[in-house]
Amino acid sequence: MLIFDQLRKNDPYLRFLAVVVLFGLGVLGTGLWWVQIVSARDYQADLDTQSFRTIRTPAIRGRILDRNGATLADNKPTYNVSLYLEELKDQFRKEYSRIRPRKIVTNEPPFWKPWITGSQVRTQTVRISREEYDKLFWTSLSNVASNSIQKISRDLQKPLVFDFTDFKRHYLTRRALPYPVAQRLGPPEIAKFEEKTSGTRGMDLEVQPTRFYPNKTTAAHLLGHLLPSDKLDEGELSAFDYRLPDFRGVIGIEYKFDDVLHGRAGVKQVLVNNLGYRQAENIWSSTEPGDDVVLTIDLEIQKAAERALLSANAPEPKKGAAVVMDVRTGDILAMASIPMFDPNFFVDRKSYPPDYYRQIQTIQAERNRATQDNYRPGSIFKTVVALACLENGLDPNAEYQVQPNPQNPSRGIVYYGRNQSTKDTAAPGPYKFKRALIHSSNAYFIHHGIQPGNLERIIDIGARLHLGESYKLGTRQETSGFFPDQRRIRRGWTVGDTANLCIGQGFIDVTPLQMTVLAAALANGGKVLWPRLVERVVPSNPGGKTIEVPPPGQVRNTLGVSARTLQIVKDAMLADVEDPEGTGRHAFLEGFRICGKTGTAENERGGAIDRSYQTTWFLSFAPYENPRYAMVVMVERGSSGGGTCAPLAKQIYQALMEREQRLAQRGNLAKAN
Amino acid sequence: MFDASLKDRQPRIDKVQLIAIAGLMFIGAAFIYSATMVNESARMAPLLKQTWFRQVIWYVMGVGGATAICLLDYRIIARWAVIIYWGSILLLILVLIPGIGSTHGWGARRWIDLGFFNLQPSEVAKLAVIIALASFLSRPPDELRQPWNFWKPIGMMLLPFLLILKEPDLGSAIVIFPTGFMMMLVAGTPRKYLIRLVAGGLIMVSVLLVDILFSPPGWWQIKLEDYQKQRLLVYFGVDFAPKNATPEEREKAQKLQRQKSYQVTQALISVGTGGFWGKGWRQGTQTSLAFLPPGAAHNDFIFSVIAEEEGFVGSMIVLTLYGAILFSGIRIAGQARDRLGKLLAAGVVTLLFSHVFVNIGMNIRIVPVTGIPLPLLSYGGSSVLSSLIAMGMLQNVYIYRKGY
Repeated sequence: MLIFDQLRKNDPYLRFLAVVVLFGLGVLGTGLWWVQIVSARDYQADLDTQSFRTIRTPAIRGRILDRNGATLADNKPTYNVSLYLEELKDQFRKEYSRIRPRKIVTNEPPFWKPWITGSQVRTQTVRISREEYDKLFWTSLSNVASNSIQKISRDLQKPLVFDFTDFKRHYLTRRALPYPVAQRLGPPEIAKFEEKTSGTRGMDLEVQPTRFYPNKTTAAHLLGHLLPSDKLDEGELSAFDYRLPDFRGVIGIEYKFDDVLHGRAGVKQVLVNNLGYRQAENIWSSTEPGDDVVLTIDLEIQKAAERALLSANAPEPKKGAAVVMDVRTGDILAMASIPMFDPNFFVDRKSYPPDYYRQIQTIQAERNRATQDNYRPGSIFKTVVALACLENGLDPNAEYQVQPNPQNPSRGIVYYGRNQSTKDTAAPGPYKFKRALIHSSNAYFIHHGIQPGNLERIIDIGARLHLGESYKLGTRQETSGFFPDQRRIRRGWTVGDTANLCIGQGFIDVTPLQMTVLAAALANGGKVLWPRLVERVVPSNPGGKTIEVPPPGQVRNTLGVSARTLQIVKDAMLADVEDPEGTGRHAFLEGFRICGKTGTAENERGGAIDRSYQTTWFLSFAPYENPRYAMVVMVERGSSGGGTCAPLAKQIYQALMEREQRLAQRGNLAKAN
Repeated sequence: MFDASLKDRQPRIDKVQLIAIAGLMFIGAAFIYSATMVNESARMAPLLKQTWFRQVIWYVMGVGGATAICLLDYRIIARWAVIIYWGSILLLILVLIPGIGSTHGWGARRWIDLGFFNLQPSEVAKLAVIIALASFLSRPPDELRQPWNFWKPIGMMLLPFLLILKEPDLGSAIVIFPTGFMMMLVAGTPRKYLIRLVAGGLIMVSVLLVDILFSPPGWWQIKLEDYQKQRLLVYFGVDFAPKNATPEEREKAQKLQRQKSYQVTQALISVGTGGFWGKGWRQGTQTSLAFLPPGAAHNDFIFSVIAEEEGFVGSMIVLTLYGAILFSGIRIAGQARDRLGKLLAAGVVTLLFSHVFVNIGMNIRIVPVTGIPLPLLSYGGSSVLSSLIAMGMLQNVYIYRKGY
């Protein structure tokens, strides 16, 4: 063999040379084995970190629909113009060599040079320092970028500002991504771009899906809104080099169903060169669009409720809430709250006036007043007191004589305990149950409410209604309110407290939603239902995993009162609307028999009762014969429940009536077909 | 290896070596192609401007030169040794004169621009030193016992060494020493001289290294170019920042260190990611993404391109081809007709080996980075010509071997 022959040479020096060469090649071979076989994986990791960038791309968010399929939250494509830096790098280089200082040298050519090359004059670049280089480098980048942006600006006829510091930051930290120049182009601008700029090297349109609420403020509170977020999906690895802007629901349905709506973000991998410019792109895992969420809301009724609230006769800024519920299923058909805000603002702040957020904050527009705030129920709570007293044996036909108030003889008064009294807004005189309810006589209800055993019954019915408890809606917009229990009573309770409770004042706080559940229970024969906001979740890909939501008509509890009692209350509530003397007469709607109860709760401000800060209510259900809808309208600072809220309820019932007609027509049509 | 009966039909040339040379030239052209055809502008260039094609032209010219050398008995060539030696020294001086020597934008003045060709005198000088030393050392071994005849060859090495160092081109300068030393050894220079030489050399080198790497600022330091010092610091893994540096200085020094170790790191990543089978020809990402500097990939770092694209298998093939050339060279030295031929062959083998060891070693961080080409594989006219002429000398010694 060639090698061993040399190692066996009799010339010791050549043998030595052979040994040295063999040893040297052996060292190289071992070294290569170590680097290429043993440590290959480490170097592969090094290679990956330096030449790959992972980009997280958020999925398209699922839609939110109303019960009839109308879109409440959607995505719309927004068009952005971006600069693709990797395509501009040649221009960067050209610009750099253009502005780089040069000198022309003619001196000292070697004597034989002209024979070969001929020319004696040539330009040479001037040696420059590191600082000068940096300055030139950034100037060249800035020149190219600002020229490109100017061209886009001219083409689009839209003023665009080139912010060098912003560009520099992008270049240093996100070079593998396109640099956004103009965002959210309108259709005419897109057309101009396609016509003039499209095809220019380094510039292109990028499409980005953006959350969009086509009905703007409608149902804004219920839908909630998004905020930019870095939160990762479950089980998602966290080491991304770049993330494209992603949003997460922070409140409302957008929050409650965020995981479902959000889908799964995908990962793009970008191959970059040593300067960090993009060379190639491939998709590691594609995005999975989010599922659609179908609400129980009926968009028309929701709009009607909002329109009604906005027309309320109350001082600006008008504040209030209205909830409409199907008394058979617990489906919420409308949940309105005013003032409203535009949830589009949170994904596109630039299109709104700079102080928009401050504006909505000062009027607390973000609060969902249907579920998020505590209110005194006032006289609408008399329905519960009525149930308790009637169940405990009150004869609805027994008369109670209300005494006149000595200070104001046209109004009644009731005395209890040791010289305590409560003034009445109703006139003195004889009151039977129905007359007491439709005039909302404080004296009547306090007189009967403080009778032995009735307080316990009120507490019991309140507990069965789960007052003081939340519905765990999961929308981050819920208060549980307050309702006394037996323990609270034992801790110290006076007859005055009972008297206050009987007229919905004092130790009681409720939300409009809780009162709607009460109205529904009165209407449906005593079933306390779970309110239902979401009808179903539609998987984005057919056959995908379906998310279960509670079925309709989930009964949480019963009122525990007899049908007779309920009928008496129902009749009295019908009279409240239909009797010309009833406080709720303004809710009267031809062809739709509404049962209602008004309420005007007094609120203390600065230690005294402030008449201008009362909470006005109208609690109702309809139609009388076969109740399908429960509705509560609440307006802050209204004049009175009957005067302020009852007309609004009438408007909403009108919409409901039209809805029924529409449904009936469709039904007939279906039958005819 | 050769039977006595076959002697009459002994081949005139060493075929094993020729095949190895041809193999290396093929690999060289293929991977220079791979390393340079990375972008549109390279592919659009006319054929004559394409690096791989120019390399092929150099191969043809080099083979022509080597054939020409073979036509002339090496003993006749050796008679011109003095003239060749001083001629190359003259070139080394000329290259230092600005206006004749050209820097090509790099820091060092290493080339003479002939218009059509950039001559690198250090490549010429290496060959010249081998011829001159062989000619000098081929005198009877007894004469080499005289101290004068020990110092004279050392002087013959030092002169070109210093001139090349002045360019500066430390790598090319330093390979002169192992070559000369091996030739002195093979010539039969008394061992005591050589042991003293090695000992003295080792002490000097270690003193210098310690001085360069560890001396506090303000001390006397051997003057090295900044980049040379940094390469050594990188190789020995010494912190750039002095011990008493402020945090800012330290940060700056670390940044510099990362920059300076960049080439080595990237070469290592190239070689390492090749794995066993490699990524395939033209599939390497390190060059196409320009992590391996485009100026160096087809040049001093061509081996990392081969190792990345052809993996451990490819590296072993390259090593085997070099092994074939080197060992057949040693065989040629053993078969040489006289001491002159043996010395020439030993010198050429050592020179080639030094290049191979230092260049491949630098790709896998066994030796510090020095701008030394890989014979036949690296792009470069001077290097290809001188390598092929050196191998032609080997064949020359073989053709005129004893008993033929």
